[in-house]
Amino acid sequence: MTTLHAVKPANINRNRRLGHTLMWVLIACFIAINLFPFLWVLVTSFKPGSEIYGASTAFRVIALNPTVSNYTTVVHKGILHSVANSLLVSGFTTAYVVLVASMSAYILARCHFRGKNALMALILGISMFPQMIIVGPIFNMFYQLKLLNSYWVAMAYSTITLPSAVWIMVAHFKRIPLSVEEAAKIDGCSQWQTLWRVIFPMAAPGVFTTAIMTFIAAWNEYLLTYTLNAEKEYQTVPVAINALRTQFSILWGEITAATILVVIPTLAIVLLFQKQIVSGITSGAVKE
Amino acid sequence: MQRRMTWKEFLFILPLLLLVLIFSLYPILSSFVYTLFDYQTNNQTKNALYTGATLNASLYAEDCEYLAHYLKKDLATAEAADQPTLTALMETLVAQKELYANSKQTLSLSAASEQEISALIEQIRDTVTSLAARYPDFRVVTKGPQLLNEMETCLVSSNYVGLANYARLTADTRFGQAVGNTFEFTVISVAVELVLGMALALIMNKAMRGIGLVRTTALIPWAIPTAVSALIWCYLYDGTSGVVAALFTRLGLIASPELLLTTQGGTMFSAILADVWKTTPYMALLLLAGLQVIDRGLYESSAIDGAGAVRTFTSITLPLLKPSMLVALLFRTLDAFRVYDLIAVLTKGTPETLSIYAYKMMIGQSNYGYGSVIVVAMFVLVALIAFVYVKVLGAELIRE
Repeated sequence: MTTLHAVKPANINRNRRLGHTLMWVLIACFIAINLFPFLWVLVTSFKPGSEIYGASTAFRVIALNPTVSNYTTVVHKGILHSVANSLLVSGFTTAYVVLVASMSAYILARCHFRGKNALMALILGISMFPQMIIVGPIFNMFYQLKLLNSYWVAMAYSTITLPSAVWIMVAHFKRIPLSVEEAAKIDGCSQWQTLWRVIFPMAAPGVFTTAIMTFIAAWNEYLLTYTLNAEKEYQTVPVAINALRTQFSILWGEITAATILVVIPTLAIVLLFQKQIVSGITSGAVKE
Repeated sequence: MQRRMTWKEFLFILPLLLLVLIFSLYPILSSFVYTLFDYQTNNQTKNALYTGATLNASLYAEDCEYLAHYLKKDLATAEAADQPTLTALMETLVAQKELYANSKQTLSLSAASEQEISALIEQIRDTVTSLAARYPDFRVVTKGPQLLNEMETCLVSSNYVGLANYARLTADTRFGQAVGNTFEFTVISVAVELVLGMALALIMNKAMRGIGLVRTTALIPWAIPTAVSALIWCYLYDGTSGVVAALFTRLGLIASPELLLTTQGGTMFSAILADVWKTTPYMALLLLAGLQVIDRGLYESSAIDGAGAVRTFTSITLPLLKPSMLVALLFRTLDAFRVYDLIAVLTKGTPETLSIYAYKMMIGQSNYGYGSVIVVAMFVLVALIAFVYVKVLGAELIRE
């Protein structure tokens, strides 16, 4: 306790400067480690096969004979079709999940009814249970309804996207003061007008955050598509890119080129909407 | 002004209720039901849930008719001593044919009828065997066995097994191994992520300039599909062309580069490292959000009181951060516990975690009955983990 005061001011300054330097070194390390896998994948995607596997050239940063043939091959193999599939499935999932979540979240935030807490707990529980428990029955359901190998897989995505969407939306609706609604009513708005003209515009940032989080979750889904859509025609990006890896050979050139192509949409979303993403990740996690 | 529930409000939450019912509750309940059956989709007599025996009635009636027909022909050349038994048998078969010829294709049987039919098949089989030595040319002897086999397949007995699948689970060492692997993966990766995430969050909370860049790069590993990042790491770990494997070998961490993806310890290490890379930033963002709501004034007064950095961290930051930390830990623990994509892509299934084992059983081997037991066991474990977090640690929170 007493020894703390013995440190001389000059030492404190030096310590602080040392601490700052250390911190910046750590930050630089973090950024480097975070980005290195992508940079290395980018490097590899321009290498011809002989350089990727050659002992002397495998770890060169710049390709001796740079080529775009990896890209043309994967485009030829239909990687862009899977990107289109992913856009379609994730877009559809986002549309209906956001609609369903905002409608129900409004009621959950504003109304009192029996079993409301049970419903909220159930939704939270669904977001926690192992997804594996629904895979078998969902497969059987889709098999019996003859929906295997179709875009209907998007409906099954509701299990993984809907719970968090409802929770984010409830948190946002609760932030809109009740007095706003009362004021609108006094000004002569009907219940519908209040909802469409006042509440939903005010909840727009929450809707946007929910939409982005839902889209990313749907875009990243692997297990259900892998199980339900065995046909290449309907495969989304995470499944299709893994199908490039055949049983006998792993063509890293093609895989890295495909990775770069499919990561671009994700990077664009992260760069454009990072504020909403951070708010989506942390909403509900911080006790207010 | 809390509104009450009317039909109009109910219509608003109806879509949510329907989706939850169809795509979450119904499948979960189905999985629980599956565990009570020997349900195997690649086995014709077990490819559905049969609570009672069923009979392919039309085929069975047809077989009875053929057998009766053959017996009638054979009766003409049989010795007088055999006549009464064979006639009786023929009459029974004709009666069976009359009984089932006009029923529907798949008929649910009572336990008594099931026993009657299987006893009859057994009786005919015995008769045919005893006739074979003396009358090798009889039609029932030459053609009977084939018909009898067909009759047996018509009779599908119930595949309800009660709790037998659960009993099998308790003796399954592969399941025990999977539980161990899952816990090892979960505990180590979440612990490492917590420590690194905490360090990162503290740094991000201090640094003013450059924080945007850190946050952006932090989001990238989190945002890309696990199945894609696992593939990237698969390349980095590759024994011949993987740069990380080569680096680790040169640093002396591993004896040779191919060990990372071929040995049990190597795959566990690789999976944990890839998971830490992907989710540490996520953990840091959750903790950072918790740090940012702590009152700055508290730090100022602790500095005035002469508290050092360590003391400030243990006396102010940690206790106030605890709620956010518990939420982050709970989410991450449950997430790590159900890990599938990462391991399925990285090593095609080693180390075998519970999700991997369940998937191999269910989808790979079409054994839905036993596979569902593994999934239900996971479900129970997840509920236990959540319970421990919320009750034991949560109660401590309330007391403070």
